[in-house]
Amino acid sequence: MRAREIILKDIKEKTKKDLGNWGEDLASLVLSNMGYKILMRNVTFKRGELDIVAIDDDELVVIEVRVRTNGKVQSPIESVGPRKIKALICSGRLLIEQLGWEGPWRIDILGITLDASNADGYDLEYVKDVTLGMI
Amino acid sequence: MSCIYGLTLRGIDALPVEVEVCLTGGLFSISIVGLADTAIKESRERVRISLGTLGIKLKGHISVNLAPADLPKEGALLDLPIAVGIAKEVGFIPEGVNGIFMGELALDGRLRKVRGGVPAAFLARQLGLPLFVPWGNVADVSMVQEVEAYGCSNIGELFCHLRGEKTLQKLDFTLPQAKEIAVEPDFADIKGQAAAKRGLEIAAAGHHNVFLVGAPGSGKTMLAKALRGILPPLSDDELIEAMRIRSARGLPLETDRFRPFRSVHHTSSAVAICGGGIDLKPGELSLAHRGVLFLDEITEFRRDVIEALRQPLEDGCITVSRASGSATYPASVLLIAACNPCPCGYLGDTVKECTCSPGDIDRYFKKLSGPILDRIDLHLQIPRLTPEELLELDSDAENSSAIRYRVMRARSIQLERWRHFGIKCNAELTERIMKKYLGLSKDGRAFLKSIGASLRLTGRGLSRVLKVARTIADLAGDKAVKDSHLAEALAYRGGFSFER
Repeated sequence: MRAREIILKDIKEKTKKDLGNWGEDLASLVLSNMGYKILMRNVTFKRGELDIVAIDDDELVVIEVRVRTNGKVQSPIESVGPRKIKALICSGRLLIEQLGWEGPWRIDILGITLDASNADGYDLEYVKDVTLGMI
Repeated sequence: MSCIYGLTLRGIDALPVEVEVCLTGGLFSISIVGLADTAIKESRERVRISLGTLGIKLKGHISVNLAPADLPKEGALLDLPIAVGIAKEVGFIPEGVNGIFMGELALDGRLRKVRGGVPAAFLARQLGLPLFVPWGNVADVSMVQEVEAYGCSNIGELFCHLRGEKTLQKLDFTLPQAKEIAVEPDFADIKGQAAAKRGLEIAAAGHHNVFLVGAPGSGKTMLAKALRGILPPLSDDELIEAMRIRSARGLPLETDRFRPFRSVHHTSSAVAICGGGIDLKPGELSLAHRGVLFLDEITEFRRDVIEALRQPLEDGCITVSRASGSATYPASVLLIAACNPCPCGYLGDTVKECTCSPGDIDRYFKKLSGPILDRIDLHLQIPRLTPEELLELDSDAENSSAIRYRVMRARSIQLERWRHFGIKCNAELTERIMKKYLGLSKDGRAFLKSIGASLRLTGRGLSRVLKVARTIADLAGDKAVKDSHLAEALAYRGGFSFER
C-alpha cells in the first residue's frame, strides 16, 4: 500500500477519532518508507498513550502523531505543549523499562495538515528529537 | 569513558582540569558536574550545536565530570575540552588523543579567544602535553618556550588534526621585539626642570620610587608620563612575567616591549590596587609589575589604600588572602606619586599667594605616613616656571632616547654585576648582598659616618640611600660608590621645604 492510496475522501463524514486513526495509519506508512522499523502502536500508559514506537538505526523513537484540518491557526507541531511532552517523557521511560531498552531514545512529532489544494491532500511536518535542549 | 585535559585559572596560575565524558542510553541530555559556574553549565548548548555543524549527532545521556571535583571552575574556556571529550567518546576522534584544550565555542564551530594563554602554556610545559588554543590566543601561547602548542580557528580544523587528516602548524616560540616608538610627551618637550629630569633618570636607571611635589600646572603629570619613554625595554623574563599577569586578567598583550605604565585614579579602592575579589584577581600593583605605578594626587587617595602599598613596595610581591584562598602575585613596581605642596596648591610658589592655614597643610600631608615616605627614595620638588621663562627657554633639552641610552647602559652594568644573585636592578638589592658587594668607597663610608647622625636616617632609609647612590655611580660609570654619589642621593631624600 502506498501513501498516496490513503486519501481522505470526505472530511466532514469523519469523527475526530477516525481522523486520528487515519493519521496514525498514514504516519506508520510514511515512517516505514523512511526506513524505520515500526515496533508498536498505541501503547497505553497512565500518563497517556504513545502513538507509534519505532526503531531508527540504533535509536528507539517514540512518535507522537498530530492531525489538523486546514484553516486552523495552530500548526500540528505547535499543538504539542510542554505538558504533553512531559507526559511523553514519562510514558517513554516506562516503555524503556518494559522493553529493557538500554540504548539512546528520542521523541519525535509528526504533524499532518489536511490541505485540499495539495496533490496528496495533506502536508507533512516531521520534527525529530523534540526534547533537544530541554533537558 | 573518555578523558582529556582542560584548565581553569586561579589568579595567574592555570590549574589542570580532567574532563571525563561518559555516554549512556536514554533521552538526549548533557549534564555537567564538578563545581562548574554558570558559563560552563551553559556550554552544553554551544557544544551541542557546534558539534552539530560537523555532522556529529549526539544521542543518549552524556555525563561530563570536571575533576578535581572540589575545585571551583570558571569561564567558557572549558567549552573546547568538553566538546573534544564528547567527540572522543562518540568515536569521532581516535581513542589515543590527549592534550590540553582551551577555548570558547561559537555556535558555528569557530573558536573564540579566552583569557589565560600564558598561564596555560606554562601548565602545558609542566605537564608535557600538547596545547590546543584558539587562534586569538596564539600570541600569548607562543611567548613560552618548549611548549608543543597549536592554534586553530575552528573546531573542524582541530578535529581534522586529531584524526590525522590534516596537520596543524606547530607554533614557534616568538617574543615581541623592542620597537622605537616616540612616547608622548618627550623629555625634550618639557622646558626647564633639569633637577627633576635628573631625578627621573636615576629612578629609571635603578627602578627607584619617586615623589613629585609642585604647584598646579608645574608639569608633575607630564614628567611622570615622560618617564615611560626613558625606561629600558622589558627583558625576555620580565616580559613573560608581565604578560602572564596581563593574560590572566584578559588584557591585550603588549606588542612592543614598553614597560607597563598604570596610572591609577584616586577614587580606586584597595582591592583594585592590591588585587582580590572572589576570584583573587591581580590588582593594579601587579599589572604594573616591572613597570610604573603612577599615583597622581596621592594625598586624595584613601588612607587605607596608601597604607596598603607599604608591604608590596618593600617586598616586590603581594599576597592576597580571602575566604576562597590566597595567592601571591609579583608586584615589583616603580612608584611615582605626585601631589601639590598644600591644599590650595601654591605653597612656596613664586607668583601666587598660598591661602592655606598651617593646620590645613598638616592635615593634607597627614595622609602620607612616615613609613610610606620612607619607602620613596627620590623626593623631587617641581618649581613652577614663569611665563617669561617658559617662552625664553628653547627646546634644546635632551630628548628621551638620549636619556634612555644612558639608562640602558646603567641597567646593563647592574644586570652584569648582580647576575649571580638573580637581581635585575639596584632597587631589588638585599642587605646581605649590599654589605658585601655594594662597593662603597672609604671616602663614602667616612662621609656617611660624619653626616649620618645629623640626618636621622632610619635603617631602611640608609640602605635606600646606598641603593640610590649605587645607581648614581652606575650612571656615571664608576665602580665605587663615592661621597659625591652619596651626597646626591641624600639630597633627594631631604624632604621638602616650601617657603611662604
